[in-house]
Amino acid sequence: MSAHEHHLKRLNELFAEELEAGIRYLHLATSVKGLDRLVVTKTLLEGMQETFEHAQTIAERINQMGGVPSLDLKLQLPPQKISGAEAIRTALAFEQAALDAYREFCDEIKDDVALEEFIREQVGVESQHVAELTLLLEE
Amino acid sequence: MESWKEFDQNPITHSVAHHLVAIADLLDEFGYARVSDVARLLGITRGSVSVTLKNLKQRGLVVEDEQRHLGLSDEGAEIAEAIRFRKRTMVRLFAEVFGVEAKQAEIDACKIEHLISAETTDRVKGFLRFCESGDGEALFDAYARYRDRAQDATK
Ligand SMILES: [Fe+2]
Ligand SMILES: [Fe+2]
Repeated sequence: MSAHEHHLKRLNELFAEELEAGIRYLHLATSVKGLDRLVVTKTLLEGMQETFEHAQTIAERINQMGGVPSLDLKLQLPPQKISGAEAIRTALAFEQAALDAYREFCDEIKDDVALEEFIREQVGVESQHVAELTLLLEE
Repeated sequence: MESWKEFDQNPITHSVAHHLVAIADLLDEFGYARVSDVARLLGITRGSVSVTLKNLKQRGLVVEDEQRHLGLSDEGAEIAEAIRFRKRTMVRLFAEVFGVEAKQAEIDACKIEHLISAETTDRVKGFLRFCESGDGEALFDAYARYRDRAQDATK
């Protein structure tokens, strides 16, 4: 596999991470019960919005690099009643996973300064999001 | 017997079974397991793995160290081993005894590995042992001939 093909493969993985996270955000947002429901739902829907935007950005990047965005999601979201704090903890789990994926990819990129720059920027944005979610969980 | 209810209450879902077994397999093969390794092995996103592992950590089946390396608690390791044993046993029953093609045997064993009881698995294991024993060998050979004849007849 050439470096270019490898980069496209990783970008497609990130595309899947972001899109799936968006779906998870919506599911969480509509499953929250409890006193803090309204405020947490709002936060989660903002997360969804942002995550879908990231997915779109990644897909555009794939296109610019001559690839085609592909998606193979295996997602099951059983019905659940979830508290606000637990929903945020769940969001933090998949956001942290996405951040790790961006970081790892950033370290792997060779011979493509523009792509490296692009991913580094995403790492910054994702880190900020993880930090915000972490703050929400502080007592 | 309302055994379907028992299955419904079974806290080890198919997805959970595969996560635990994936960690056990990675630990055996490489000595470590990370979220990214589990995700690649299972062909799902890291986000998905992280959400499942979050619950498994809360249930005390999976542990994670500061370097974010995954491990199994004693209970988690025990469950993973039981599932692997069930799968191996059922693969052997389907493939070696019933003559099911290897790939199909794997697929079908995968579907029941987390559901079949320990007792039934032990019985199957006993039957496999019998097939290999002096008493069983002749009977097994007779059955295998019958099975293959029947198979040919349907073609
Ligand atoms: Fe994102
Ligand atoms: Fe399975």
